[in-house]
Amino acid sequence: MNLQILLIAIPLLLAFLSLLLKKQSNNLLLVAGVMNVAFLTIIQKGTTVIGGFQPPFGITLVVDNYSFMALVVLNILFLTTILMSRNSIEEYGSVLLVAMAGLNGMILTGDIFNLFVFLEITSITAYILASKNNNYKNAFHYLVIGTLGSGLFLFGIALLYGMFGTLNMHDLSIRIADVDSAVIVLPTFMIFIGLAVESKLMPFSSWVKGVLGNADDIVAPLIAGSYAATSLFVFGRLFSQVLVIDSSLKILLLTITVVTLVLGEFAAFSKSKIKEILLFSSIGQAGLVATLFVSGLVLPAVLQLINNVFSKVVLFTITGKIAKDTDTDEIAELRGIFADHKIIGVSFTIASLSLLGLPLFFGFYSKINVMFGLFSLNIYLIPALILFSTIIEGAYFIRMLLNLWNTGEEGEKSKLEYKTDKIVSFSKYKKIGVLVISIVIVLMGIFPSLLLDNLYGDKTLLNENNPEYIFEIKGGM
Amino acid sequence: MIQYFSIILMLIGIFGLLIDRNILKLIVSLNVFEIGLNLFIVSIGFVNNGIAPILTANNSSSNLNFVDPLPQALVLTSIVIGLGITSLGLAFARKIYKEYNTFDLNEMGGNN
Amino acid sequence: MDLSLMAILLLIGSFITYFVSRSNKKVGSYLTILITLFALMYVYILKNNIGLTYELFGVITFKVTYLGWYFSIIMATVYFSAAFFNPFWMEKFLYPSQYNLMYLLSFLGTIGLFFSNDLLTIFIFWEITVWTSTFIIPLGKSRKAGVMYFVISSIGSMGLLFTLMLMYNKVGTLEISKVFNMLANEPKLASIVFVMFILSGLTKMGIFPFHIWLPQAHGNAPNTFSPVLSGGLVKMGGFITFLSVGVFPAYEAFKDGLHIAGIPILIYIMMLLGAVSIIVGTLMAIKSEDAKKLLAYSSVANGGYILIGILLADQLGLAGGMMHMLNHAFASAASFLAIAVVAYKTNTTKISELGGMIHKMPVTYTVFLISIISLAGIPPMGGFVSKWLIIQALADKGLLLIAFAAFFGSIGSFLYVFRPLSAVFLGQVAERNENLTPPSNMMRVPMIFLAGLVLYFGVLPRGVLEIIGKIQASVGITPVELNGQAIMAVNGNLDALKVFVIFGFGFVLALLLFLAFKKPRKVDLMDTYTSAEFIYTKELYHYAHDFYAPFERLYGNHPSVEKWADQISYKVKEVGDLVNKVFFNFNPSLSILWITVLIVIIYLGGVII
Repeated sequence: MNLQILLIAIPLLLAFLSLLLKKQSNNLLLVAGVMNVAFLTIIQKGTTVIGGFQPPFGITLVVDNYSFMALVVLNILFLTTILMSRNSIEEYGSVLLVAMAGLNGMILTGDIFNLFVFLEITSITAYILASKNNNYKNAFHYLVIGTLGSGLFLFGIALLYGMFGTLNMHDLSIRIADVDSAVIVLPTFMIFIGLAVESKLMPFSSWVKGVLGNADDIVAPLIAGSYAATSLFVFGRLFSQVLVIDSSLKILLLTITVVTLVLGEFAAFSKSKIKEILLFSSIGQAGLVATLFVSGLVLPAVLQLINNVFSKVVLFTITGKIAKDTDTDEIAELRGIFADHKIIGVSFTIASLSLLGLPLFFGFYSKINVMFGLFSLNIYLIPALILFSTIIEGAYFIRMLLNLWNTGEEGEKSKLEYKTDKIVSFSKYKKIGVLVISIVIVLMGIFPSLLLDNLYGDKTLLNENNPEYIFEIKGGM
Repeated sequence: MIQYFSIILMLIGIFGLLIDRNILKLIVSLNVFEIGLNLFIVSIGFVNNGIAPILTANNSSSNLNFVDPLPQALVLTSIVIGLGITSLGLAFARKIYKEYNTFDLNEMGGNN
Repeated sequence: MDLSLMAILLLIGSFITYFVSRSNKKVGSYLTILITLFALMYVYILKNNIGLTYELFGVITFKVTYLGWYFSIIMATVYFSAAFFNPFWMEKFLYPSQYNLMYLLSFLGTIGLFFSNDLLTIFIFWEITVWTSTFIIPLGKSRKAGVMYFVISSIGSMGLLFTLMLMYNKVGTLEISKVFNMLANEPKLASIVFVMFILSGLTKMGIFPFHIWLPQAHGNAPNTFSPVLSGGLVKMGGFITFLSVGVFPAYEAFKDGLHIAGIPILIYIMMLLGAVSIIVGTLMAIKSEDAKKLLAYSSVANGGYILIGILLADQLGLAGGMMHMLNHAFASAASFLAIAVVAYKTNTTKISELGGMIHKMPVTYTVFLISIISLAGIPPMGGFVSKWLIIQALADKGLLLIAFAAFFGSIGSFLYVFRPLSAVFLGQVAERNENLTPPSNMMRVPMIFLAGLVLYFGVLPRGVLEIIGKIQASVGITPVELNGQAIMAVNGNLDALKVFVIFGFGFVLALLLFLAFKKPRKVDLMDTYTSAEFIYTKELYHYAHDFYAPFERLYGNHPSVEKWADQISYKVKEVGDLVNKVFFNFNPSLSILWITVLIVIIYLGGVII
């Protein structure tokens, strides 16, 4: 059964349908989300050929361990986000359907130009979503930077085609492995820029502040969750498998990603609005994941990525709703807001503590894996920088958490009277959604093997085997 | 030759993005950049003394010296994508004008 | 008795307490008392299982050792005693059920820490304790204190994590008894690992320059949690310090390096930091206007003693440091509990607003007196025995500079000990506190229990010192020599029982004289000699106002580590703002400029390389 193509085709089909049946677009969106998740339970690993042209000439869709994990993460995140914030979707149902198709396509495809096409589709939907709530200036900023980035990405693809004559990712990886990496410096860097814009690496991520800083409770978790997950998974696929580079270019790319990590955390520390703190934290985390991918540590990178996106979905959903109802997300004006919403507060706390990598949460497991991985490669500077930025991260997250839970100025006892008078109401979907995700985070923190055994087979904590890539070329030249 | 020309076009486009403050001019610069990019891609497929990759009555064998058709297909896709982006950008420009009454980014004010 | 079982029971117990507290706060707090009692008894019975190992969740490994047992008993006693105060504070908290949950979870963290058998387990429980206690602190008076506590603890945690990873990479195992052995032959690597490892101990104990969180956190935490923070959690640092000389072959690894007075230079520097902590803590305590901050600074000073004692790692010094930990834990917890009682009744801890509490709460006064005497190191209380041991060891080794600091701390402690005693408890009752009811028995019981322990270990220290001797033997250091009730040392012996008996004679004599002679006449506050002036403001003439003013003027303008910390945080914020302005402008052109610059660099770099 050719289920893989259905993951892309059904959302796309329903998107066209929703243009005709405008009133039903939200329900169609829900149907597509549920069907995608349902398909994932019966999908099989392997490659699918599209259009009858055998690889490496034609386009293939690949499901191996890596892309299966990515698909699971993406579709579950997408469905959860939609379910939690159903009231905010308004007329953007068809855009979300196209986005779903594009995101799935980005992960599934095995052809680099097809990746570009899906990347553009996804970006266009991102620009439209970013402009929700009259945020046009920032969406335009995003459009300009994004188009430039994608253009450079295409330039890189063209250079690669000119050098190697193939667009199939597996074929490219074989051919690049035979060549000295000084040859592919320019195309690698162009492709890096293209993906870096979407993955929020600095200095390409100036759009993030305007877009995420003004996003509401459906756009923000999508961009910081599903979009971020997909672009980082694609980044990982390309940079750990296809464009394997040696030390001199690697050092440059690592500098960019590590600088992103450190400066992102510094910038988050200086902010006082919750959404801005969270978006800079996303930038920093993206830098960390990209560093791990470029260093070749795939499993720790994937774990850290999963931890980050699930936590961010919870955090942004809650913050988006608060900002929507109270028109502000300044911490000083929201002191003690969790006093009336304990479930939301507990979920917010669990998600933040997991981001910090504290034990009893999944973030701890991923942090330990990251550290073990880096040390096993005898790299010492990067872990030191990561630990340093963790201290800063701890400072601003704890400051945010303690102020949101407790009231009163400095020197005063924390009392109920000093609580903020802003009122927020959370729908029961939101409460159930964030609570379920938080419980999953805690469970996976205490029993991490539950997740990994189901997807990868037996993986013990301190063993950092890379997941196997099953990439087959069927047919031939 | 063509390749150098297309790279110069791309650089002109990027230069425009750096200098311009008017939103419409930014969109135009993006388009110039894309044109340069598309030209470059087509030029990659060029083969010396090649003919157009179409099977006609005169050229019916597939062993002849064809220019590479794959980049031409890529460029078609890319042109369409560029069209989509330009139209979206213009839609945004219109909305921005409605809100700020100007197309100049500097007049629109600072960070929000 | 299975230790893993106890850990799981504690975990489940804390969640049950949380849900019970949601419906009935008081019952929830009674549950905390019961659970801590259960854990205390369980740990006590574990003494029979010395040497056994247990496992949990595949990653955590425990081993019952004398060291772990000693620390756990101290911790469990402190938590159990402080738990008696929880029911009284339930109405005052914004989140009482959260408090109960975090109380028990942090308790679990400490017990797990002390019984850990490998570095990863240490790290896991360390972090659990840090984050759970971080949520309790802001329920008191200050949010900033919680952040400061967490950040400085994180610095220590990062050192611990770095050590863990480095050693795993080199050795392949994390078991405590084996992981550090190879460092005995590699001085350079050993120095780095030593500093990183002991960093966590220093930050947790509040040694200079990491001491700034102590007065903020202990001073501003809820009154019923400060005893646990000061008497309990700080001892985690002591645990790591012990490991860093007991298990980590510190003296062996550095034996070829530079030595000062026979001590390797790195260890000497740490001891100097301890000495500075003693001096800083003492001086800042003398000048404190708030009773809890004063006790917190006294914890800083005592932390310095513990550090010095443990780092000496010999027969007397190590015993002194370990025993001082026990004494300080109980004495500090008891004194914080006494202040908590005062604060519960009067709603303040500022010394200038209190006074004459002895008339209202004599039992509290006695408890405070006993614990304060122990903190100062005056016989016949326990603090004297441990300080005696440490100073003996310092004199024996000839470390004059540090011995000077230790003496200074001892003498200075008379000053800061006397201030709250006389200003809070003695003297006249302040007007606002005229109508106070005596505290309930439930508050008195734990205080009397702790004060009794303080007294007991001062009079009959043999029991403790035997266990400490076993701990010393387990890491290969000669155990302290005991003879009956006396402690044998190079420069003389200490027979605490004899000292107590002599003291007892003196006390009885003074009591008889006091009863025989005429009683003093009680006068009002305003009934004082004024040389024909009129006096109006009662507060200015109160006993406690400007208590040590002449002495404080001597060091009034001192450099402050708090200011440095504030400046660091400000600089970080400035860098963040700069990043924001430069990279995140609303105008896309700036960003495109950066992209172009990068491309140019790559291209030129590619051409050059």
